[in-house]
Amino acid sequence: MADTAIKGKSVKETQLPLDQFGEPIKGVSLWLDAWRRLKKNRMALIGLSIVILYSIIALLAPVLPIHSYKHQVLDHQYLPPSFTKTAGQLLYERQEALFQQAAKDAGFEAMPAEYVQALEIFREQLATETQEFDGVAVKVHERRYYLGTDGLGRDLLSRIIYGSQVSIAIGLIGTLTAVMIGLIIGSLAGYIGGTFDYIAMRVVDVMYGLPYMLLVIIFMAIFGRNIINLFVCLALVSWLTVSRVVRGQMISLKNSEFVQAARVVGASPGRIIFRHLVPNTLGVVVIFATLQIPNFILLESFLSYLGLGVQAPMASWGSLVRDGVDAVSIYPWMLFFPALAMTIFLFSMNFLGDGLRDALDPQSKNVL
Amino acid sequence: MTKYVIRRFLGLLPTLFIIITISFFIIRVAPGGPFSREKALPKQILENIEKKYHLDEPLIVQYGRYLLDILRGDLGPSFRYKDHDVNYYILNALPDSMVLGLMSLCLALLLGISTGIVSATRQNSVLDYSSMAVAVIGISIPLFVVGPVLMYIFAIRLDLLPTSGWIMADGSWKTAIMPVATLTLPYFAYLARLSRASILETLRSDYVRTARAKGLSPSVIMFKHILKGALLPVVSYLGPAFANIVTGSIVVETIFRVPGLGIFFIQSAINRDYTLIMGTVIVYSVILLIMNFIVDIAYGFMDPRISYT
Repeated sequence: MADTAIKGKSVKETQLPLDQFGEPIKGVSLWLDAWRRLKKNRMALIGLSIVILYSIIALLAPVLPIHSYKHQVLDHQYLPPSFTKTAGQLLYERQEALFQQAAKDAGFEAMPAEYVQALEIFREQLATETQEFDGVAVKVHERRYYLGTDGLGRDLLSRIIYGSQVSIAIGLIGTLTAVMIGLIIGSLAGYIGGTFDYIAMRVVDVMYGLPYMLLVIIFMAIFGRNIINLFVCLALVSWLTVSRVVRGQMISLKNSEFVQAARVVGASPGRIIFRHLVPNTLGVVVIFATLQIPNFILLESFLSYLGLGVQAPMASWGSLVRDGVDAVSIYPWMLFFPALAMTIFLFSMNFLGDGLRDALDPQSKNVL
Repeated sequence: MTKYVIRRFLGLLPTLFIIITISFFIIRVAPGGPFSREKALPKQILENIEKKYHLDEPLIVQYGRYLLDILRGDLGPSFRYKDHDVNYYILNALPDSMVLGLMSLCLALLLGISTGIVSATRQNSVLDYSSMAVAVIGISIPLFVVGPVLMYIFAIRLDLLPTSGWIMADGSWKTAIMPVATLTLPYFAYLARLSRASILETLRSDYVRTARAKGLSPSVIMFKHILKGALLPVVSYLGPAFANIVTGSIVVETIFRVPGLGIFFIQSAINRDYTLIMGTVIVYSVILLIMNFIVDIAYGFMDPRISYT
């Protein structure tokens, strides 16, 4: 005890076993250890920060100073992105260019007086015109569209932000549901074994054998087309891999000593599965989930591409990209910005997933 | 070994039977039918049409009739397209999808595995980081963005390649470049990541250290020792990937107007074209089951630790 006083360490710490340097060995939990290793991985950290940033923006969308994602200003169709000019200025320039072209085509040296007058009236109109949204009159031409507008005069920036809400939600909720289903079925099949295991795995085999798009379309037809069902449908066709992985882990773990110990002290099977076995499979499941989120977002965008995704006026990255694809040769920003937003997010998720896989790899425990 | 192969092969048949049965009934549960339109058909006409296609019979009778038909190799008439039967549509579209898919898959294998080897042997080098960045981009960008962007650059802006057309229809190899390149990208990306991770893991194993200690040259170690073990995950990925890619990608086929099978998977389900849905399901699952079977057998040859006794 006197020794501890000299070293200035608490009594509790000295009771821990000492390593070869005489320092106490600290127990490191799986998650703390993984976090320490994740912190060393720069790409994964960048990915994590971007994912957090996206989530914050998506959550704060209603209070951010952006225009509505669904109000249409039909005069503002296909306005190019601009940081400096208001919509009115862009419209005026567009009109001026048209008149100049018309004057040139007609062979005039300068613009005729009636053109100049018409432009002046147009400028006046742009300065004063208001439109009513939800009972509030708005001077729409004073708006700025940093990322341009779409074919119905809606602000692309706001649509991308609200679209990220939908896309990220689909990624998260779809993955959570898929993981829950897969975890429950996989752990029961692995733990119980026998006939239940056989039947469950045959069901998985058969569902693997069906084209998943068929299942999604049929499920959507049966349960109705709305966004909740979209989550559920995607989850219903995606739990297969998780269940197989979890089942494999269960089988290899269920005869280990700690499970026998739990059984000896009389723990119920439910407690053994969900308190002792499932936590041991979480590492694999977390890796799967992070890599599954981008897949879900891609899947939703694919459905939107086919016209089976979210319904207008709601937007998702997929539906925005689809609109952009149709307009790419004339209005490239309509494809560029949504595709960029989506790709950066998926990129970050993938790097985060790779980083987690390395960090949670049991072979590298306590290796920094 | 032979006994295992035969038993494993016979085991495919019940699975196929269950897949056929489940999809037959599940598509009948879905609301709407092949003849429900926005403007409803007059009752008498609808009844006559349903009679013609035996839709008025009890479901179980239709099911029995369908099973007998497919045993004879007849997938039945399409409920939506009047000109030909399902056999005709599938036999016509499948070769196009297969050619496109096989070209892309071979290219993806070649590029993906060589990228994996280079990245793994030069781990944490600039080359490794940049090729893995390309691979992550490859799995992060939807095909329906890659396709139009390639088309915009190479067909519209640079005017180097035709926007559409298909090698098997007009014989010009130029028409195959963009569809194959687009379809290759995600498979290449996945294969590069998969083979890199797997090679890195194998590099740490004892037998590789032994081979190195014997003084074998690095290329012999890579190609004779490492790849044999490291490519096992790639082989098992190839089963489902092959089935997916040769049955057609709806995105690539619609963007580049390749007359393949992909579109039927979606369109038939939306149209509730029962026989055509069943046709696509059967083609897909037969290819998938056979490929998984081949992968299983190939595993036995590649991995001496697996024995089938």
